[in-house]
Amino acid sequence: MNEPVLAAAAREVASLRAVLVTAMPDCLLFDSWQRDTAGWADEEVATYFGDLVRSNRSALKSLGSWSSEMQVTIESADSIILLNEIDTHFVCGCIFERGAPLGMARLHTRRLIEQIRESLPRVEVEERPRAVRVMEFLHRYAPDPHTVTMRVALRAGLPLASLEKPEALDDRQAEALENAAKAILGLQTLNV
Amino acid sequence: MTLLEPHDLTFMAGAPYLYHCHHYNLFHDQTVDDVLGEEAGQRVRFEAARAAYHGLLAPLSARLDKRTPAERIELAQELFRATGHGRMSLDITADGGTARGEYLHYGYTWSEKYGDAVRRLETADAVAAGFAAAATQVAFGLPDGSIGARERQCVARREPVCEFALSRRTPGPGIAAPVTEEDFKRHLGGSRGGQHEEQIGAIADALQGFVKGVGGDERGLVDAFGVFVTLHLANYYDQTAYEAVRHIEQAAPSSVGLCEALLREAGHVCVFNTFGGILASPEWEAVAYPLSGDPLEIIKGGAAIARGLGFGRWSVDEYVPGQRLVMCASSNYEAPFYLARYGRSDKPRCYFFQGAALAIMVLAHRVKWQEKPRLSQALYNELFRGAGLGFEVTANRCATRGDDCTEVVVRAT
Repeated sequence: MNEPVLAAAAREVASLRAVLVTAMPDCLLFDSWQRDTAGWADEEVATYFGDLVRSNRSALKSLGSWSSEMQVTIESADSIILLNEIDTHFVCGCIFERGAPLGMARLHTRRLIEQIRESLPRVEVEERPRAVRVMEFLHRYAPDPHTVTMRVALRAGLPLASLEKPEALDDRQAEALENAAKAILGLQTLNV
Repeated sequence: MTLLEPHDLTFMAGAPYLYHCHHYNLFHDQTVDDVLGEEAGQRVRFEAARAAYHGLLAPLSARLDKRTPAERIELAQELFRATGHGRMSLDITADGGTARGEYLHYGYTWSEKYGDAVRRLETADAVAAGFAAAATQVAFGLPDGSIGARERQCVARREPVCEFALSRRTPGPGIAAPVTEEDFKRHLGGSRGGQHEEQIGAIADALQGFVKGVGGDERGLVDAFGVFVTLHLANYYDQTAYEAVRHIEQAAPSSVGLCEALLREAGHVCVFNTFGGILASPEWEAVAYPLSGDPLEIIKGGAAIARGLGFGRWSVDEYVPGQRLVMCASSNYEAPFYLARYGRSDKPRCYFFQGAALAIMVLAHRVKWQEKPRLSQALYNELFRGAGLGFEVTANRCATRGDDCTEVVVRAT
């Protein structure tokens, strides 16, 4: 997607502050637009949005109430944030000013998504090895990130060097890595 | 409380103690659990705390002529609060009972530091559990190992309180007695200073006087220098660290280096947070000097603070700005324990000292003290993240190996 597509889609919505498109399942920033330069890093925010949508999907599925129409709404002190799955490969995060009426924000978001959907590339997303995604997840969320590789190596009983190339881990090693990650993060399951 | 003056080591009723902050304490425990796994880690930490506190509370009760269980329980609870570990209420008999903790140092500070970022599945207060068990043992004249404890609820798991169930056990075989002041004395060599000795010694004296007056607030916490400080027992740190190392040496020799690296990292954590907090404080200006940006001020300050906190007689043997620092500890709290418990080592074992010396060099050269930086986790990551460190440390001599002192060299990479 080139920049004018997002900009054009967003231009008419005065209360819209930013739009971020996240590529799944790796939660990487695909594209973004901001009305004014904000004090955040788009890459980081896009990652968190992707993780939020994934967690939400898992939670709803465990409740037996998931549908592809699900939407995450966050009302913070200064923003309304609406997160939607555009399709299985992309998540759209729209950040509105706090004063925007929620109903209007939802309406604008639906329209924006339709326009964005048309411009998205039709590609087959190649899923990277799960161990790679687990390591990335750990580096994003584990406390003391600079020691996390050493901690995982100790807990999983894996050589440090092997964690520098997690794509080469065999199934048993990948499972040990995942168990260590769950213990470090205090999670029962790892949705990556 | 006694100060073994030529060695800058401190003892309470014969039990060696020192001061560490919550950043260090949490990282230390985390490392033990990383090495041993949660279940064994909890057990080793609990048993170490129980033994260490038994070794303090039994002689302390005797010295203060506390003879009845009620007197001894009261003493234990007050000691716990005064030393910055939080508030503990013991409802116990000789067969066990329950204990309830509020603002427990580990659980509370874990929630403060990490609670918003990660969830914790295991309880955090093995030290408080060990303390409660030891207090019960001492109150009723039972030998160490007679009381077990399980933390049923913990605020670090987002439960409303910390609560412990205590029960009577048959002491298992091979419970090692804690290392005492007398053991330390047996294994300490001669004391010596280094460069800038007069100034370092004077600051250390002032700091020792200052920390002696520090006590827990109404929560039972010591909130000072931007950290939560505890008066803690050397036996706990040493036993847990060395048991973790010995375990990994047996179970996974190829991973020993990782374990040692994390124990050194704990030294970075301590120096950055506690030493840094002290150096940046108004109290530092009162007892030492304002920081002008000269790295030597931090080097000297590091040695003085270590002494002031009861880490031992650390001194500066050689310093080349930006290039090289040789620090010597003619005494520290690691080596005497190791020698008393395990005998001579075949390699250097003073991991905390190694990591701390390196971190002092990093603080001296990579922090702009005149700008009064905030000692945040982000700054820590920036300073101590792998290749960005800028210095490396090697141990030249180590008292655990039978050398006359422990000496490390920090070099620019």
